[in-house]
Order: sequence, then structure tokens, then C-alpha cells
Amino acid sequence: MIIKDLNHNSLHKENSKFDLEALNLGSFPNRKEERWKYTPLRALKKINFHNQLNFKIEHLSSLGIPKIEGFLIVLENGKFNSLLSNTIDLKGTELSFLNGTNIANNSDEPNHKDYFTNLNFSFLTEKVVLKIKPDVNINQPINFVNIISDDNCISNTQFNIDVFENSKLHIRQYFLGSSNSKNGFINHRNAVSLKSQSSLTIDKFQDLNQNFNFCNEFIDQEQESKFIMNTFSASGVILRNDVFNNVNGKNCHSELNGVFAPIEKQHFDNHTTINHFVADCKSFENYKGVIKESGVGVFNGKVIVHQDAQKIEAFQKNNNILLDDESKIYSKPELEIYADDVRCSHGSTTGRFDEEALFYLRSRGISVKKSLELMTLGFINEVIEKSTDSEYKEFILNKIT
Amino acid sequence: MSELLIEIKDLECRIDNQKILKGLNLKINKGEVHAIMGPNGSGKSTLSSVLAGNDNYEVTSGSINFLGEEISEMSPEERSWKGMFLAFQYPVEIPGVSNINFLRTALNERNKYYGVDSIPAKDFLKMVAEKSELVGLNNKLKNRSVNEGFSGGEKKRNEIFQMAMLDPKLSILDETDSGLDIDALKIVANGVNKLKSSENATVVITHYQRLLDYIVPDFVHVLHEGKIIKSGDKSLALELEKKGYDWLKTDENI
Ligand SMILES: Nc1ncnc2c1ncn2[C@@H]1O[C@H](COP(=O)(O)OP(=O)(O)O)[C@@H](O)[C@H]1O
Ligand SMILES: [Mg+2]
Repeated sequence: MIIKDLNHNSLHKENSKFDLEALNLGSFPNRKEERWKYTPLRALKKINFHNQLNFKIEHLSSLGIPKIEGFLIVLENGKFNSLLSNTIDLKGTELSFLNGTNIANNSDEPNHKDYFTNLNFSFLTEKVVLKIKPDVNINQPINFVNIISDDNCISNTQFNIDVFENSKLHIRQYFLGSSNSKNGFINHRNAVSLKSQSSLTIDKFQDLNQNFNFCNEFIDQEQESKFIMNTFSASGVILRNDVFNNVNGKNCHSELNGVFAPIEKQHFDNHTTINHFVADCKSFENYKGVIKESGVGVFNGKVIVHQDAQKIEAFQKNNNILLDDESKIYSKPELEIYADDVRCSHGSTTGRFDEEALFYLRSRGISVKKSLELMTLGFINEVIEKSTDSEYKEFILNKIT
Repeated sequence: MSELLIEIKDLECRIDNQKILKGLNLKINKGEVHAIMGPNGSGKSTLSSVLAGNDNYEVTSGSINFLGEEISEMSPEERSWKGMFLAFQYPVEIPGVSNINFLRTALNERNKYYGVDSIPAKDFLKMVAEKSELVGLNNKLKNRSVNEGFSGGEKKRNEIFQMAMLDPKLSILDETDSGLDIDALKIVANGVNKLKSSENATVVITHYQRLLDYIVPDFVHVLHEGKIIKSGDKSLALELEKKGYDWLKTDENI
């Protein structure tokens, strides 16, 4: 493995103050735009951000995640934290960083000219690039932890993942806000490139507490590649995930799953777009919302089957449980089909827990609180089960129920 | 000698402003088996639900004294901790919750109430093996979601399996025989009999005298329009089998 530390201690692009609306990045999103119709950004807009890049965390254990063994990349407040990281030598991988003045050498172009992508590119402070060479199977998950631990700090970060031909990788991403920080904002971008016959699974976990996290994720798939992303959203003031999955080669498998559980006025928004450009591919989407105590959930999933993409199988579903009258979900599954020989389905349900089931559990001596927990677990199990690691599964369940 | 387990006095209840139980009296001592029979819609399942604490039903008057305590206002979970058990006529499916996790949670919740440590995994599994054998519950069903995709008979066995795991003081079996073929019926009845002791009691609700050949009652009651209109010993069940219910519906009873 090669670590290219391009320039670590030089200048950052630091601003002492950020007024998001005053930045010259295009118009700040508002609810008149379709993509932001259900997610008001008032709470974000009124914060005075800074991007002084300080380290505050001494041990990852203070962030309530299980001990991470093996390969670990930690960013804190928009900057690579080498003391918390563990970038051991992994055969067949290449890890590099772009930061400081070298950030100007960023060769990527924003493929979406939306406000938060522009913000990310303009004020980028750390970019991590991970390449998996051809014919390499990385058995252990690679961990990427992105922390906000400073009040009012804005963190613009990028993570590029290139998996070359016939290679296999599993990534765990943790987006975390320390419990004593507030009004911090991680504005992150994931850019994934999957070469033919490669495979990538990303487990993504968001636990921001009093902070914000937006993720723009771009996935490009070549033929016979497999991509799975499981997004678990546990806490945060506003969480927004925008997934753009472009399937450019035949016989690909694309799978997006998620569980989002906002409580107490938290607002969790999942937007996904799967573009089927070519024939003979399969995609699956399964998002579950568990919403209570004035939480708000948004799901907007779009599958586009382009004209030449015949024999596509695309299945999308979003099921939600509202635990009380104060909670809300806006669910909008969309299918746009321009090919004629396809198998697609989409559906959305929103409901309450079954009163009879609740009585049944209580009659066996299970308290209301525990019964609701059990039923929640039962409801999200289908998605949690996708994770093969029982310790990780246990951790997610604890954080989400 | 016999010790009172539950005493129901002048119990009246309603749902959606419709009166269903209309002054029901019943007394059960420890060690006894009672059968409740009666036509469809007479209120048998309503009585079970009210005893188990289903608050869809509003108790408008009367009292339920269980082990010396008035329980009309008690939550279903607390009743369960004190030894009440209802084998449902229509067991509910709970998707995604495994049978085994459900039962472990149930036992641990009760232990928590009594300030006892959680049951060790090994002991729990041993108990599961023992008790499922008692009712001939298929091994595979233990790890499946509660009642999901179970056949009618499997659901009923699962109820008795839960009863065996929880070891209640008062078990109410609401039409446990429906959906069971004769062999399954024998196995389940045998299981129920093995769970019987001088410390607990069983209420068997059924339409058919058949079950009572295997679970022999000390008393048989006839429920009609929300009231017990006749009580007797097990010969009453045979009589009902022959003559139906109509002969009981005399003016004074209604
Ligand atoms: N949830 C309910 N809502 C309205 N009516 C009910 C409900 N449950 C029971 N009833 C009515 O109460 C009466 C007794 O029903 P039930 O207790 O189920 O009788 P049984 O078990 O003896 O067949 C019936 O007339 C039934 O329609
Ligand atoms: Mg009934």
C-alpha cells in the first residue's frame, strides 16, 4: 500500500465566518424546489459557521461506537486525524489524501451543480482516495469515520473509492457528532467507481446528535459489478442523503437499503436516483422509516429506466411506521420507464403498529416500551439482517430502537 | 381446603357502547379445571380478553379478584407477571420478531419485575427444548417469526408452548382445540394435563365436548348472552353435546 501524503501541514482554506446564503454558490435551496420541498433548511441557514480545523476527540470510544479493529481512516472537523487512524499496510490498496493548498489539484468535477456540491468543492479541506487494485479481495471491512466535534464547524470532505476489475471491498462509514457539540455540519461527498466484476458494500451509519450531515453520493457501475449500500440514520438535526447510482454496464446488481429513525423534531431525508442506462440489470431498494415524537422522515426514490435498458428488474419499496400523531413522513417512490420490456415495481406504506399485536405481547408480560421496541426490531429486521456481522447488527439495533 | 384463585363478581363490560358481559359470576379455586361452553357470540372470548386486560373492553361494573387483588385496572403485563395467561383463539402474527426472542424477552421482563437476574442463555435453551417437546412443537418454528406462516394447528401448539414457558397460575384456553386434528389434540391436551398442579387452575373454552375427554373438567359452565346460565359437572358437557343449547334458553335464564 502506498500512502501519498501530499501536503499535510500547509495552509487550509480557512474562513472565519460562513454565511451560507451569502456565498456565491448559486441560490440556496428552498422549498419551492421539488428536491427540497419537504426539507426546510431554516435551522441550517441561521448558523454562523467557521472552518477552523481543530481536533478534540481523544478516543473514538467516547462517540459510542464499538471498538474498531483493522483499517481505519478518521477525519475530524474536516481534517485527517492520523492519531485516531490506523492505516495499516493492506496489500493491493492505495490510499492517498489531498488537503491544504494541494486541494487545488482536485481533478474531480462536480457532476451535479447543486448548492451543497458546490459548497463541498469550493470549501473542500480533506479528500481521501482509496483504490483497490484489480483481483484483490479485501476480507476485513475498511472503516471510515467522519466526526464533527466542534460547535458551528463546517466540514467539507470527500471520499473517492475506486474498485478495480474483479475486486471486492466492504466499507463501514460512520458519520458522528460528538454528544457535547452542536450546530456542526458535515457536508460530505462519496464518489464510487466500480470496474467490471467488482463488488462493494457500504454500511453507512449516521449519529450526529445536535449536528447536521448531508451526503452526496455518486456511484458509477461498470458491467457485472455489484453495489450495496445500507444507510442507518440514528440521530442528527437534519440528515440528508442524496444517492445517484448510475448503472452503465450490463448484468449489474445495485441495492440501496436504509433505516431511518428520527425522533424529537429530527428530520431525516433520503433521496435516491438509480439510472439504468443499459439492459439486463437488477436493482433493489428497501427503506424503512420508524418515526416518533415529532420526528419527520422523507423518502424520495427515483428509478429511471432509459430507452435501451431492456430486461431491467427494479424493485423499490419504502415502509414506514409512525408511532404517534405528531410524527410525519413524506414518501414519494417514482418510476420513470422509457423501455418496454422491464419488470419494475414500487410501493410505499405508512402505518401504525398493530394494536392486537401490542396486546398479545403485553399479555405475555412484555411492557409497552419493550413491546414497541420488539415490534420496531421486527419491522426493520429485514434491512438490518443484510449485515452479516452480528456485533455490528447488535450495535445498529441498539442505536436505532 | 381449597384456596381461591380468582373470583369474578357481577362483571359487566362493553365495547363501542354495546354491552357484552351482563353480570357474570365465576369462582375458581387452585387445582381446578373449569370448562366454559356456549354458542357463538355468547361472550366467551370477550371474557378471556377482559381477564387478560384488553382495554378495548370497558369494564362498567363488577369486580375481578385475582390472588387477593382487584385487577380490573391492572395492565396486561402486570397481570401476566402475577400469573394470568390467555391462549388466544386467534393468535397474532408478529413479523420479524422470532419466537425465541419473544419468549426470552417475556421471561426477562417478568424477572425484572421481581428483581431477579435474567435467565442464562443455556438454561433458557434447555427450557425451550423441554417445553416444546411437551406440546410437540416443530423445532423449526422456534426461530421463525411469532406465528407468521404457522398453520392453524401450529399456532395453537405455540400458545400452549408459551403457557409451558411462562408457567402461569391461571390459564385460559380459548378454543385451543379448533384447528387441531385428533392426534394433535391429544398431544396438546396431554401437555396441558402435565402442566396442571395443585397451585394452578385452567379454564377451557370450547364448543366441543371432544376436548373434555382429554382435559377432564371439574366444572362445566354455560355462557349465554354475557351470563353464566348453568353450571354443572362434566356430565353437563355430554348433555349439551346431545341436546344443544336451546333447552337452556328458558325465559328465566334470559
Ligand atoms: N371488538 C369487538 N367489537 C365489536 N363487537 C364485538 C367485539 N368483540 C366482540 N364483539 C361482540 O361481542 C359478542 C361476543 O363475542 P365473543 O366474545 O367473541 O363471543 P364468543 O367468543 O363466545 O363467540 C358478539 O356479539 C360480538 O359481535
Ligand atoms: Mg370466541
